[in-house]
Amino acid sequence: MKKFSLVLSLVLFTMGFAFAQRTVVGQITDGDGAPLIGATILVKGTDSGTVTDIDGKYSVNVPDGANTLELSYTGYETQEIVLGVSNVVNATLSEGVTLETAVVTALGVKRSEKALGYSVQQVGGDDIGRSGASNAVDALVGKAAGIQVTRSSGTAGGGSRILIRGVTSMVGDNQPLIVIDGVRTNNETQQSQAETAGTAVSNRLMDLNPDDIESINVLKGAAATALYGTSGASGVILITTKKGNKGEKFSVDFSSSVGFDNITNMIDLQNEYAQGWSGGYDDPSTGSSTSWGPRISELEYSTDPNHPNAPGANAFFADGTYRYDPNGFIVPKGTGNGQAANVYDNVTPFFQTGNTFNNSVAISGGSETATVRLSVSDRRENGIVPNNEYDRQTVKLSSSLSPTKDFTISGSVNYSKSEFVKIQQGSNTSGLLLGLLRTPATFDNSGGLGSDAVDNPSAYIFPDFRQRNYRGGGGYDNPYWTVNLAKGFEDVDRVFGNLQLNYQIDPWLNIGINSGYDIASDVRKQEFEVNSRTNAAGRILHDDFKTKVFDNYLNFTGNGNLTDDITFNYLANATLFSFNSSQNFATGDGLVFSGFRDMSNATQVTGGNDIERYRQVGFGAQVEAGFQNMLYLTLTARQDYDSRLGNPTDFNLSNTGFFYPSASLAWVFSEVLGSSDAFSFGKLRLSWAQVGAPPPDPYSTSSVFGPFSVGDGWGDNINFPIAGRTGFDNANLLGNPNLTPELSTTFEIGADLRFLRNRLGLDVTYYNRKTVDAILNASLPRSTGYANVWLNSGEMTSNGIEVTLNATPVSNKNFQWNSQVNFTKSESIVDKLAPGIERLFLAGFNTAGTYLVEGNQYGAIFGGAYLREGAGVDGIDESLNIPAGAVVINDNPDSPEYGFQAVDPTQRAIGNPNPDFIIGWNNVLSYKRFTANFLLDWREGGDLWNGTAWALSFFGTSQLTADTREETAAPIEGVKSDGTPNDIPVVRDQSYWTSSVGGFGAVGEQFVQDGGWVRLREVGLSYRLPDYGRLRGGSLGVSGRNLWFQTDYEGIDPETSLTGTGNGQGFDYFNMPSTRSVIVTLNLNF
Amino acid sequence: MKQTKILFGCFFTIFSLFSCESYLGGDFNADPNNPVEVPIAAQIPSIQINLVDVYGGQFSRNNNQLMQQVEGVARQCTGFNSYSGLVPSRFSTVWTNIYENILNEIKIAQKVAAEEGYAHYTGMLNIMEAYTLMISTDVWDDMPYVEAFQGINNLNPRFDTQATIYEIIFNLLDESITLLQGGDGGLAIGNDDVYYEGDIGLWIKAAYAIKARGLLKHNKFAEAQDAAKLSFTSPDENLGFLYPDQNAAAPWYRYNRDRTGDIEFHPQMGNLMQGLNDTARLNIIQSTFRISHPYMTAKFHQELISYREMQFLIAETDLWLNQSGTAEGYHAYLEGIKASFKELNLPDSDYEIYVGQSDIDPGMGNLDIEDVMIQKYIGLYLCPEVYSDWRRTNIPKLTPVTGRSVPVRWEYSADEYSFNLNAPEVGSVNIFSDRVGWNR
Repeated sequence: MKKFSLVLSLVLFTMGFAFAQRTVVGQITDGDGAPLIGATILVKGTDSGTVTDIDGKYSVNVPDGANTLELSYTGYETQEIVLGVSNVVNATLSEGVTLETAVVTALGVKRSEKALGYSVQQVGGDDIGRSGASNAVDALVGKAAGIQVTRSSGTAGGGSRILIRGVTSMVGDNQPLIVIDGVRTNNETQQSQAETAGTAVSNRLMDLNPDDIESINVLKGAAATALYGTSGASGVILITTKKGNKGEKFSVDFSSSVGFDNITNMIDLQNEYAQGWSGGYDDPSTGSSTSWGPRISELEYSTDPNHPNAPGANAFFADGTYRYDPNGFIVPKGTGNGQAANVYDNVTPFFQTGNTFNNSVAISGGSETATVRLSVSDRRENGIVPNNEYDRQTVKLSSSLSPTKDFTISGSVNYSKSEFVKIQQGSNTSGLLLGLLRTPATFDNSGGLGSDAVDNPSAYIFPDFRQRNYRGGGGYDNPYWTVNLAKGFEDVDRVFGNLQLNYQIDPWLNIGINSGYDIASDVRKQEFEVNSRTNAAGRILHDDFKTKVFDNYLNFTGNGNLTDDITFNYLANATLFSFNSSQNFATGDGLVFSGFRDMSNATQVTGGNDIERYRQVGFGAQVEAGFQNMLYLTLTARQDYDSRLGNPTDFNLSNTGFFYPSASLAWVFSEVLGSSDAFSFGKLRLSWAQVGAPPPDPYSTSSVFGPFSVGDGWGDNINFPIAGRTGFDNANLLGNPNLTPELSTTFEIGADLRFLRNRLGLDVTYYNRKTVDAILNASLPRSTGYANVWLNSGEMTSNGIEVTLNATPVSNKNFQWNSQVNFTKSESIVDKLAPGIERLFLAGFNTAGTYLVEGNQYGAIFGGAYLREGAGVDGIDESLNIPAGAVVINDNPDSPEYGFQAVDPTQRAIGNPNPDFIIGWNNVLSYKRFTANFLLDWREGGDLWNGTAWALSFFGTSQLTADTREETAAPIEGVKSDGTPNDIPVVRDQSYWTSSVGGFGAVGEQFVQDGGWVRLREVGLSYRLPDYGRLRGGSLGVSGRNLWFQTDYEGIDPETSLTGTGNGQGFDYFNMPSTRSVIVTLNLNF
Repeated sequence: MKQTKILFGCFFTIFSLFSCESYLGGDFNADPNNPVEVPIAAQIPSIQINLVDVYGGQFSRNNNQLMQQVEGVARQCTGFNSYSGLVPSRFSTVWTNIYENILNEIKIAQKVAAEEGYAHYTGMLNIMEAYTLMISTDVWDDMPYVEAFQGINNLNPRFDTQATIYEIIFNLLDESITLLQGGDGGLAIGNDDVYYEGDIGLWIKAAYAIKARGLLKHNKFAEAQDAAKLSFTSPDENLGFLYPDQNAAAPWYRYNRDRTGDIEFHPQMGNLMQGLNDTARLNIIQSTFRISHPYMTAKFHQELISYREMQFLIAETDLWLNQSGTAEGYHAYLEGIKASFKELNLPDSDYEIYVGQSDIDPGMGNLDIEDVMIQKYIGLYLCPEVYSDWRRTNIPKLTPVTGRSVPVRWEYSADEYSFNLNAPEVGSVNIFSDRVGWNR
């Protein structure tokens, strides 16, 4: 703390801090004499200002030379008061209808909200803070219409995916551009392992301390983002960070919170049947993978090595004791020692209560000429999975200096340091839930140690370094092994910020330069101990990512009145942007001995480098003309040049350029109709915009060779150099020098209506977006010699409706209730892919993956289906959707699947992962010093493929398989090949669930489930502290995240995404469970 | 206003110094980590290792599972074992490896070799191409070739008949033998050739071996035998690649390590060998499929075609050509068995004990086709070619795991069905009854 003060005083000193000012105090009330809480007081002509407290009282520093206060409150007329000698100014505001709120729009231009012909929504810092989320993306759930946030899992340090108005691009990144204080910032997700395996991925916006956020503006449509050019195609999230205010008294904000996390739910596992096959018991040493053994109630233990059912010698230690269970091996009841076989619960003791500790302190203040804010934060998270950790420290300094009235220099520096310890998940043999949920109820992963097994290696490793797991060392890692011996470490250091110069020459000419930098280093190490199931020989992976983003703007702006009736403002700008991400990687294979997981212990080390780079140059212009404060027309134009369109062998600048225009109109018709108490304000919005986008990846214009690995994916591939040689192979993806930008055209219409003196507000927007020439990596028949080619061939149409309803049902002196409903509906239909191509792979597995399917919504779940009547019949079966007919039953008596559903030889679109609509209902209720809030999050529809249940049905560990294996034989609903109703009775036992209609079979549709939910996303209660001594307020609160949800999904939680932040959504395969959290927060202001 | 002028001056100086062309252009959009062209020798190791890897990988797992030498017992493999899992999507990767990572690469290298006149490289590449086409058409019958490998210029290559493919195969082999017998055209094959390290004599022998294999399937027994005699003279000459160690381990080792317990030794084969008192070999190959397996090791010479296959071929054709066989065929039969013992690292004494049994060595003139084919079936353990032998001769007699018949071919790749308009209709191929060209 001492060092900290020293740094601060140095900063303040160098900036020539001065305190020549007076302090004015007072109270603001409404017409009825009730105090107005949160009214804004601005010292005109300065940046100094404050808001009123719960009693409507305020205290503001008025710098020398300033003499006017501007008092404003939403829904009330703004008042200006010229200061006299008195330092006490009380005022009464009258309710009015003026609406001059300025909002931050593209390129940091503040525009009157009234003039906007498109939809912009703002989320305040308070809402972000109240959410208790550590990731600003998570904090946005339900707080704005048109956005969809999906948290990838409950992993500490796991990322989230955000979409604004659904998807814009077919294969490019569909997440919005993140702009912090006017400059583009990277929200990248670096993938170092397979998308469906490895560890949870993070998104880089997590590096920003949410306490530093002043507000977030969501720019939704193309008209709003047109000035960002190509990078704004998927929407823009504008984040404004907190800064010191001119003339603001020096203040200290301290915040401390502690949170606890628990697993929300678990998949239903059976505890009746033992490890085995066909009803016979198999000892762990046999390697048996399944739980199709006898009833556990018919089994007991024996320690007699001469027992006829004793397992082989490798199941015993040298001293003759049994390796796998301290009670002995399992034998039929009546033949052993009489001690009944245990039913082990492997899941409950494994997960722990996670915890989070967060502390932050911010110091801010300002003089007439300078402002400063310095914040420091420290966050420590321990996940619900043992050893999963996420620690983050941030420091942020923002300051500004105005040596003259018209010249300002300002800047900010953020430094953040994050350390992650991540655990293997998903579809890999070291994946945590894979081993955990497949473990038979007769095997104790902890070896009798319960939750102590995490810290006791004897649970998972034998003295000879063989692995102790239910499959005799084969199969999948023991979960306790995974969390100890297959850890992934990530160490992120990041510096980002901006430097800004502003020179106001004249109201008609302001020159601004804004240069942003964002430099991140992400150093990763993944360990696999010898005898890990993913790498039995042991492996060490190093990945060293360095990402550098530079963004530079030169803006000329100005505004004024052309005539009494016409207002005018303009912007002309030039931008330079560069992105460079370099990955150095090294893999060490074949560790010499166990217990030392370091590169120096590897017998083969391979490495390489991978650079992704691109640059953009852009020129843009915007003019806004307003007529009688009623009609506003805005026109923008931009010309971008992007290196990703360049052909390296035959470069031509004009091939890299593209132009896009936009036009928008705002009509404040309440100015014409006049407003009343009942109808306060009305505006219609109309806009049209066209945006282009370059190829999502650089180098798409040429084809390359590389030393690609060799193999078929069933085991680990092998990598060059092999036997002292390296070998080059032409990439499977064919480059295309003729690529042009993809184009999307958006039409948007909306209305903003306010009633009852603004107590009720309704904002409705409809949009339609048509994307043509979409760039996609079209699949090719492999006989062409390639798997994919970049083509400008896709077409997609999106439609959406967004509704925001704001209401203040109650507002009086003591009690205020603010309620907001955000409704989002968006649908993107893939009209066309490429000639002859009906579907395109995005992510996933063979049995069920995410594809673009012509005629279907974006990212359909595609996979094996039951055969239905009409399949393959011309005129009936014309698409890849499931035909309408009845399910056909296999009625071939010679078939082992006699009586089961037959399999359609064509894979089908078996699910749609896109929700029908999303509703967020956010409420804040204040009574005196108490504030309560809750946010209900309702996502209707959106399918998920429950791959976990699919796989567990094969292994016989799910409750479903216990219920069905002894059911009475009955015919499955469907028809026989002659069309008559099925009458072949079957029992859905082992033969069924291990057939082609069971787990690991050819069909995926039986486990496609409705992933909709209603969720209590946030709930909280806080108390605002009164001033006391030097304490100037603060709060003490408790909040909960994700405390309750209701869903038809049969997995753990439908809010899950195996692929993290990628485009392939809608499947769950042994993904990490989600969490619910309770957080206690104390804020103190001095 | 003076300040303004200075400021403007600065901005325009900066922007005039700066040129879009140099900032965005040149090779800035060229991948700094991957070349757009490579010399021919840089391609060879990738083609060759991909080829042995697919042959010792998916071809071996599929064919030898159908042949009941190995048995799929867990996860996806249970479905393969019972044939229900043999759906098009399961053949996508192997089809991709053949077309994309082997044949297309060969085409690119052949073009360079032809342009530069590197005759030996052309010869070697043609042999590899002929081999790849043969193993592929033997399981897929008709397949795209003439119109294939044209990238975006032909998105829907037509399927050629197997007869056409085989004609191309035999032409490629004959042309290669001629080319290899001449000069190298300026570039000798070096140690980029991971099979033979540029030994041209061995390549010629391999060409004859491959030709013999192809002729045999077309019942051209005399020509097949002639070719076989011009091929390998010892197991040391087998065409294949020695996987060096566990870091670049052979396909079966990798499978057993990474998918432990999915596939095990098949009891059918065990019973067959037990009936023949084939204990020495059985003891080795019936070990549990783990990394500790004595035969499926990390360091492993994965063969494409072998001396013992040629010996069995000579023995078989001898019986077809000469009623009860000649001394040449009889010796080839024993030589084949002996080479199989050597392949399993068993001492000659074990071989002597085994062939000491009269039902194994009934003496010259007493061999029948069944003897030869059974020994070839055992001697080519894990070699995908036994699937062709079984389809030709129906030896050994196999009981289908399910249903009435063992599949007689593979499904096409799901990708090809989906993306090639000239591919057959999905569902039109019946893997149980649609025999490949030479098998009709």
